[in-house]
Amino acid sequence: MTPDPLVLENVTKRFGSFTAVDDLSFNVPQGQILSFLGPNGAGKSTSLRIALGIMDADAGKVALFGGKPTVSSLRRVGFLPEERGLYKKMTARATIEYFARLKGLSAGEARARTDELLEATGLGEFRTTSISKLSKGMAQKVQILSTLAHKPDFLILDEPFSGLDPVNQQALEDLIRSEHKRGATILFSTHVMEHAERLSDRIIMMARGRKVFDGTLEEGLSALGKGVRLSVEDGFDLQAALAPKGFDAEQLPEDGLRPEWRVALPAGKGPQDVLRAAIEAGAPIVSFLPEEARLRDVFVALSSEADAEALRRDELETQHVA
Amino acid sequence: MWHSIFLVFQRDYFGYVKAWGFWLSLMAVPFFMIIGASMAVLAAETTPERYYTVVEEGSVYADAIEGEFVRAFQREQEYAEEMIGNLEIELPQGQASQNAGAIIDDRKFHLITSPEQSIEGLRPYLTGEKLVDGPVGAKPLFAAFILSADGQALEYWSNDVNVDTLRYYAETAMVRLARTQGLEAEGLTGDFLNALDDGALSVKAKRLRNDVAASDAASDVTLADKAPTYVAGALSYFLWLMVFSIIQYLLMGTIEERSNKIFDTLLTSIKLPELLTGKLLAVFAVTSTMMVCWGLFAIVGGGVISAQMPGVSDVLTPLLSALADPKLLIIGLLSFVLGYLMYGVMFMALGSLCDTIQEAQTLLSPMMILLMLPMFAILLAFQDPGSPIVDIATWIPLFTPFLLILRMPTDPPLWEVLGQLALMAVTTSLIMWGATRVYRAGAVHGAGIGDLMKMFGRKKIST
Repeated sequence: MTPDPLVLENVTKRFGSFTAVDDLSFNVPQGQILSFLGPNGAGKSTSLRIALGIMDADAGKVALFGGKPTVSSLRRVGFLPEERGLYKKMTARATIEYFARLKGLSAGEARARTDELLEATGLGEFRTTSISKLSKGMAQKVQILSTLAHKPDFLILDEPFSGLDPVNQQALEDLIRSEHKRGATILFSTHVMEHAERLSDRIIMMARGRKVFDGTLEEGLSALGKGVRLSVEDGFDLQAALAPKGFDAEQLPEDGLRPEWRVALPAGKGPQDVLRAAIEAGAPIVSFLPEEARLRDVFVALSSEADAEALRRDELETQHVA
Repeated sequence: MWHSIFLVFQRDYFGYVKAWGFWLSLMAVPFFMIIGASMAVLAAETTPERYYTVVEEGSVYADAIEGEFVRAFQREQEYAEEMIGNLEIELPQGQASQNAGAIIDDRKFHLITSPEQSIEGLRPYLTGEKLVDGPVGAKPLFAAFILSADGQALEYWSNDVNVDTLRYYAETAMVRLARTQGLEAEGLTGDFLNALDDGALSVKAKRLRNDVAASDAASDVTLADKAPTYVAGALSYFLWLMVFSIIQYLLMGTIEERSNKIFDTLLTSIKLPELLTGKLLAVFAVTSTMMVCWGLFAIVGGGVISAQMPGVSDVLTPLLSALADPKLLIIGLLSFVLGYLMYGVMFMALGSLCDTIQEAQTLLSPMMILLMLPMFAILLAFQDPGSPIVDIATWIPLFTPFLLILRMPTDPPLWEVLGQLALMAVTTSLIMWGATRVYRAGAVHGAGIGDLMKMFGRKKIST
C-alpha cells in the first residue's frame, strides 16, 4: 500500500514557555487538497516546517511518504514558504532552473521545463530579467514556478495567496486545480477562508497550536447548525412568542439599531416554519434572513473569541494588502 | 550529495564573480602595485634638485657636508655589492661598479657659492624673489648654513621646514668633522678614522653543510639558504590574506540569504552541511581565482623585469625550488584547508546571525582583532621561527595554520608537526560542529547575535 504523503502524530513544538504546536495529529492522503486554516500565530507554518524536517519537533512523529524527511523524499515535494525569498540578482529563468536542478532535474530538463512554465504564465519575455527588477507579484510567480518546476508529487504551500492581487489569486487557484488534476497532493495553509471553501477536499482548523477541526466543508457547516435571523420592532419579546410553538429564539447583542434575534432550526423544521410561527404570533417583523453558514462561522464557533478576532484582523489585513 | 554541493558552489561562485566588486578587487591589486611602483620611481625622478650654500671663512664646513654625501654613496654601493655577492649574480661588464662621481651628479643637493654673506642678504634668494645660478640652471636658494657669530653653531636656514635631509647630512658631517679635528689635534691624520673603519673585520655568514668542507666557499650563506623561510613566510601571509579577504564575502553572502529568506526553500532541497560546503568552496574558489590572477600578474611582471634586469632570475630560482619542497607543500596544503575551514565557518556562522550590513559591521571589529593576532604571530615567527614562544604559539589552533608553515624550514620534530596538525583538525571539527548549530539557528530560526549564548545552553531559540 502506498503510504500517505504526510502523517503527523502527536507533534508538539515549544519555544521556551510558548507552545507553538500542541499535540497535533493529521494525515494527508494521496490526491487530496487539504487546507490548513487559522489566524497568524496558530502554528500552521511551524507545523509545515516540522513536516518538512526544517525544524525538529519536541515530541511526536513525522512521516513524509512513509519515512523521515530525507533529501530523496523531499525531492518529491514542492514547498512554497510563508516568507518568500529569492536571489535578487539571478534572472527569472536561472532561478527556476537552479531550484529545479537542486530537486534532481538535469540541466536540459530544467531549462525546457523552466521555459515551458514561463511561457505558460506569461513571464516568457521576463526570463532574462533579474528578480530585483521584477514586480513583487511577478517575483512571487517566479517563486511559485520554482516550487512546481520539478513536477512534485506533493505540494506544500504556506500562505500562497498572501501578497497577490485578486487576479493573481484567481490564477493561483487555477494553478492549484491544474496541479491537482496532474495528480499532485496539495496541502496549503491560509487564513482566508474563501480559498479553502473553493479549493479544499478537506479542512484542518488550527487555533493556538491546537487542531480544532478536521473534516470536509460540509461536515464543518453541519456541525455549526442552522438558523434564521429576525429583526422586530422594539419591545416585542420574540422568545416568549415563539417558545410555545417549539422554537428557541435568542436575542443577539445590541448593535444600536433594532433588536435582532437568532432562531435555531430544530431538526425537520425550515426557515419558512419560523416565519409562519412568527407571523402567527403577531411579531412586528422588520427583516427576516435565513442564515447561510460560512467556514468563518465554523471557525468562530469552534475557537475562542480572541482567535476569531485574530482571524478577522488577518483577513482585513490581507484585503488591504491585496 | 556532490551534485547538490556543486550546484550551490556554481551558483555562489558565478554570483560573486559576476559582481562588479570582484572585478574591482581583482584589478585593484595590480593597479595599485603599478601605481605604487610608478609613484616611487616618479618621486625619485621628480624630486627637485636644490641649491644650498655655506657662509663661512674658507670651506671647512662645506667640504665636510660634501664629504658626507660621498661617504653615503660609498656605503650604499658597498651594501649593494655585498647583496649581489650573496645572490651570486654575475653582472655584465660595466655594471659591476659605478664611480662615486656619477652618483654625486645624481644627488638632489648642490653646493653653490653664496651670493651674500648674511642671512638678511640671503633672504630674497631663500624666499625665491631672486635666483642663483648653479649646475642645473637658475633656481631659488633652498637652504643656507651660516656659522654663528660665536662660531659655536652652524645655523640652518630654509623656507621649507619639511625637508630635513640636508640638515641630517650636515649634522652627521659636523660630528665627523669634530672627531677628525680632535684626532688631528692629537697628531693623527684626518684619514685615520676612515682607515680604522676600513680595517674592521668583515663578518661573513657561513653554514655547515654535510657535503661541503667548512673551508669551501660553498659554505657561505646565500639566498638559497634563506629561500625556504622567505617562501614559508610568503605562504603563511598568503593564507592570512586569504582568510582576511573572505570575511566580507562570507558575511555579506550569508546576510543576503538571510534577508532574502531563502533558507526554507533551500533546505527542502539540500542538507545544511551540503549547503555550507558548497558556499565555503565557492568563496574559496573566488579568493583562489583572485590569488591565481595576482600570481599570474606577478609571474608576467617578474618575467618582464627579468628580461630587463639581469640577475633577477637568479633570485627567483632558489625561491621556486624552495616552494617545490614536498614537505612544505604538504604541510602548506593541510594548513590551508584546515585554516580556511576553521576561520571560514566561524565567519559564516556569525554572518548568519546578522540581519543587516550595519549589524555585521559591529562584528567586524572583533573579527579584525581576532585576525590581527595571527598576523603578529606571523611577524614574530618570521623573525625567529625557532623561538620557544613560536613553538608554544603553534600549539594554539587559531595560530597553527599560519605558524606551522613558517616553522617547517627549521625542521621541527615530526611528533610536534603531527600533534599540531591533529589538534588543529580536532579544533576545526569542533568549530564546524558549533558553527553549523549557530548557522542553523541564525539562518533557519532567525536567531540574532543576542541569542548566541542561548544556543549552547538548554534554552530554545524563539522564532
